[in-house]
Amino acid sequence: MSSTADGTTRLDDYWEQMVTVALLGTDRREPPVPPTGGLADLAADDPLPTASQRLLQQMAACTTVRRAGVLPAPPAALIAAPAPDPRPVTPPSATATWRRLVIDWPVLEDEWVLAVLATGRRLAPELVPPVLGRHRTDVVRHERALLAAGPLGAWMVEWSPRLACTGRRPTSGLELAVHHLPELPIVPELLPLLEAPADQVARTLATGLSKATFNAGHRAVLINLVARVNPSSLPAVGAALNSVDALSPSVGLAYALTELVHLRHHMLTELEPA
Amino acid sequence: MLALAPKPSSLTAAQPLAVASRWVTSGCDGRGVWGRCTGTSAEPYDCVIDHVGVAFRCTCPSRSTPCKHALALLLLWVRGSVAEAETPPGFAAAWLAGRVAAVSPVVDSPSPPPADAPTDAPGSAAAPSPAESLPLPPTRDGRDDRVARMSAGLAELDRWLDDRLRTGLADPALARYDTWDDLAARLVDAQVGGLANRVRRMAGLVGAHPQWHGHVLAEMGALHLLATAGRRLGSLPPHLADSVAAAIGWQVRQADVLAGVPHTDHWMVLGRSDTREDRIEVRRFWLRGRDTGDWAMLLSFAAYGQSLDTSFAVGTEVHADLFRYPGALGLRSLLGRRHNEPVAATDVAGVTIAVACAGIGRAIVAEPWLDRYPVCVVAAPARIGARWVLTDATGSLPLQPGVGGIGQLLACSEGRPTVIVAEWTPGGLVPLTLHLPDRSIDIGPVAEASFLAASR
Repeated sequence: MSSTADGTTRLDDYWEQMVTVALLGTDRREPPVPPTGGLADLAADDPLPTASQRLLQQMAACTTVRRAGVLPAPPAALIAAPAPDPRPVTPPSATATWRRLVIDWPVLEDEWVLAVLATGRRLAPELVPPVLGRHRTDVVRHERALLAAGPLGAWMVEWSPRLACTGRRPTSGLELAVHHLPELPIVPELLPLLEAPADQVARTLATGLSKATFNAGHRAVLINLVARVNPSSLPAVGAALNSVDALSPSVGLAYALTELVHLRHHMLTELEPA
Repeated sequence: MLALAPKPSSLTAAQPLAVASRWVTSGCDGRGVWGRCTGTSAEPYDCVIDHVGVAFRCTCPSRSTPCKHALALLLLWVRGSVAEAETPPGFAAAWLAGRVAAVSPVVDSPSPPPADAPTDAPGSAAAPSPAESLPLPPTRDGRDDRVARMSAGLAELDRWLDDRLRTGLADPALARYDTWDDLAARLVDAQVGGLANRVRRMAGLVGAHPQWHGHVLAEMGALHLLATAGRRLGSLPPHLADSVAAAIGWQVRQADVLAGVPHTDHWMVLGRSDTREDRIEVRRFWLRGRDTGDWAMLLSFAAYGQSLDTSFAVGTEVHADLFRYPGALGLRSLLGRRHNEPVAATDVAGVTIAVACAGIGRAIVAEPWLDRYPVCVVAAPARIGARWVLTDATGSLPLQPGVGGIGQLLACSEGRPTVIVAEWTPGGLVPLTLHLPDRSIDIGPVAEASFLAASR
């Protein structure tokens, strides 16, 4: 039994001895004698007939004493902070927008991170762990997130290795891919709309949805189209989608696309420099 | 009707539902009104109203009492659009029969509550609303019966603990969940549901890590304390007796709490944490009074498909009345009147790690079975070996291993001292919030969205 210099058992040692007895059971081993002081006084004041009851009483008392007497461990050395990043952080509202788009419209996330970079901002610190963690298997997106996070990103990877990229780095083309939006599949007939005037895009979509030429089967390509159409067209497209005939079978799709248009417009304007 | 509606907009929301075409199986008699409301959900909502005792029951997940469905059914009834019926259908009959029954114990609840006594929670399926619990007076016989059942349950728990120590923790039976769940079920039968939840939590500790024996034994010690104290309630000081009663599962009616003296302050919402207790999600909001510096806790509960309280935002401050549940610490509270709209909480002050430790110690002295307590410290995240800690010049406290939020804690503080709100638990601190000079960042554990319904 380990003891202090004056021969008394330390509380932690007493606890460990009780754990050992409890592991084996009091049928096999007698509980330890409590150290002098309050615990011994308790055992003397409230004597119990069986070894298991005495152990239970001492464990309850010892747990209380140990928890109530919690003391801080010695101070730890502070971690060196990351290098300063002069770029302004994304506004708090953009944090909420990112959380929304990764749940509802992840097709917009690449453009959102590129917009952060293009506007000379860096990710708000609270976004750095989730964005890095989300893309740790995708080299291009992880690299893009590291650029948006700045020195804080590399620092986080150093202290939290689970945020490091696990994907294999390509031999070439990474730099180019990081700074460009990935292409999304869009049917050839709709490709010209990507650079068409706003009113033409709006008219084509609204008419197609009102007449149900576009239906649920076109959902994926229409989402891709709206996610890549020239941003200056978005207000007109949003207004046109709002005017889709409410009796059209495709009105549900129109509602979904309207939400996508509004979110994309919102996320881009929100990140514009003040 | 206006007086019954929890807010004017509830009546507005009820109007479109107050048409006969939205209701099936509707009817009324001298005691109740009932009906099934068909709406946007796949299943209709079963709605029953006791128009004599004035109480409501609806299967919708709304937190309002009465909900819009109950108000709509009442509107239909007062307009004479609900036909008289001889017998209520099954979903209404049992509830109305329970209402009519002359014997209704003060606090009886048919299902086990989580540790913090959620059966009087507004969002809980098993929760009696204030309107439900008001009109039925307690009877001495019912109370005595319950005390006897609880006492027998506590004695059985102590015997069970004693047997475990006699045969030893190496007993393979402890590795089986059934061993713990059977005991928990018997504790629920004995109406000490608070202890049943602790027992189920202990089952999760078995084999969780190499030091699990010590943690399980510490919890067994806390259970023994409660089992012993619970059988000696009459000889304990009143506040301590209240704390013990709450911890073992004795419910206090909301109406009784709201009849107390309010604690008015500018309450800063400093932290939030969600935890799953058995099959109920529990949300804690930790509030601290700007004027008094006192802590308070608001609880809300949600079973599957229900919603948690979203009426507070971390980092805000509201001038309001709180009503505290009785107890030695008196942390748990109910919100009374709000005197203003929430504003951003500024200048949140933290203490040192040493002062926080002293506060934790005082709280545990008051309630030795305490399993969480809030601290607000100015400290930095750091590493001691493989373990993350919060540290300052006065010392370090470990964070709970594997807890979420450490990444954001690190990223937002950049390793520098920051105002951090955390929950102390026996396993370590759980970080809840970072209060930066310009904003507060909520990093506390969040309930699974798939478990909860969207807020209505």
